[in-house]
Amino acid sequence: MLGKLMKYEWKATWKLLLPMNMLIIVMTFLACVTVQVDFFDSDNSMVIFSAMMILLTYIGSMFVVCIGTAIYLIYRFYTSTYGDQGYLLHTLPVDKHHIIIAKVAVSAAWIFISMMLVFMSVMFLFAEQGEFLVDITEAFESVIEYWGGSEVSGFVLIMTFIATVFHIFARVLKVTACVSLGQLSSDHKVIMSFAFYFAFYFVQRIFTMLYYVFIEILNHANESYRFSYFDNSWEGTLISSILYSVVFYLLTWYVMDKKLNLE
Amino acid sequence: MAPIVQCMGLTKTYGGKVALNQINLNLERGRIIGLLGPNGSGKTTLIKIINGLLNPTAGEIYINGQRPGIETKYRISYLPERTYLYAGMKVIEMVQYFQDFYPDFRMDRAYDMLNRLQIPPNERLKNLSKGTKEKVQLILVMSRDADLYILDEPIAGVDPASRDYILHTIVNNYNRNATILLSTHLISDVENILDEVIFIKYGNIILQAGAEQIRQNEHKSVDRFFREVFAC
Repeated sequence: MLGKLMKYEWKATWKLLLPMNMLIIVMTFLACVTVQVDFFDSDNSMVIFSAMMILLTYIGSMFVVCIGTAIYLIYRFYTSTYGDQGYLLHTLPVDKHHIIIAKVAVSAAWIFISMMLVFMSVMFLFAEQGEFLVDITEAFESVIEYWGGSEVSGFVLIMTFIATVFHIFARVLKVTACVSLGQLSSDHKVIMSFAFYFAFYFVQRIFTMLYYVFIEILNHANESYRFSYFDNSWEGTLISSILYSVVFYLLTWYVMDKKLNLE
Repeated sequence: MAPIVQCMGLTKTYGGKVALNQINLNLERGRIIGLLGPNGSGKTTLIKIINGLLNPTAGEIYINGQRPGIETKYRISYLPERTYLYAGMKVIEMVQYFQDFYPDFRMDRAYDMLNRLQIPPNERLKNLSKGTKEKVQLILVMSRDADLYILDEPIAGVDPASRDYILHTIVNNYNRNATILLSTHLISDVENILDEVIFIKYGNIILQAGAEQIRQNEHKSVDRFFREVFAC
């Protein structure tokens, strides 16, 4: 049944999200042509104006696709799970875990696709002619260095990729948990969902702070060995993402299984 | 055979408000049962609990001898008051959806009913009127060979001319060993097909009796009797 749920989740989302992602490809092509041909050197002010408009539209489309994808997926989760369509979804002979997994996996996949397309698009736009692969490698190295990797290796690259995937899952599950917990309110479901989101944000910040304090205390107490931080590394991202994913998954499941109350 | 639905001390409270108050109820197989009561009487709460959409606060409920869960959802065909169809899908895709998830779904029966009601299978649901969507929903629900059909206001949204056909569809398309639990305000329209009625008020079952028994004992229709019992 999980496969069937995922199939219908794809079918329900691709009609809007595929064209949105295609927009990135089209706008990247137009922006690349504009930059490579160097219309900005033209004497014709209309050509320069058009080139500027294309680049502005390109930047705007990136924002629209990223934010639009997120908003649509949240709306889709809310309406299909706790709206009228929930009456169909929750009376299907399927496990609640399968419902959550199908929705989260498809949402995470779309966010990953959008992120990769935007990343590749920016690379294409700023890569010098014929040096796309060189530039993209350098970009990956920059990302890994930003996340605290001291040296770039195949292992670090794979682990960074895995950490990114788990990070996306944790973010999606955070939203599903907030939307689900918001349903516990009888009158202010949307406001409560936002309230839970900000509450979780602060709790996560506090946990991060406590983690730093804990490491400092350990180092202070133990002079023979120095513990290091996970800060800005794939390790920290991976571990925290897995922990948060488990917590947010359980919260979503609890509301869906024990506290479901459709309008 | 054991009743299709057994409730023992079934209670549901929302905060301090009691929606169902220690209900003891058995629904026998092969009956068409009207669940009748005014707004806020607990009909929808009871229906949601049977469908596994709500957990009871106390008491026990068994459907086919099992607590509400995946197995019972295989056996219940539920028509909610809400329109739960995916607006972007075509009628034919919705039929395929039911076929995919319910092993007891009869595709030939669905297409036959769509044909009779002249609903184009390739039409998108968002292009259909509210009444037609409700007909599609009813067709999907009645195309299953379930043990228990739960129909919440199945004729409320359709025009009077179509009501007879809808009721005819219900009566002629359900498994004879199955039970239909029908919740409606339009008692006079459904009275003739009911075997049994349940009156529910403030979360309590105040009457469970045969429809014919009421007519004989009270010398009035179920509709008239209902109006007297629930008179404001």
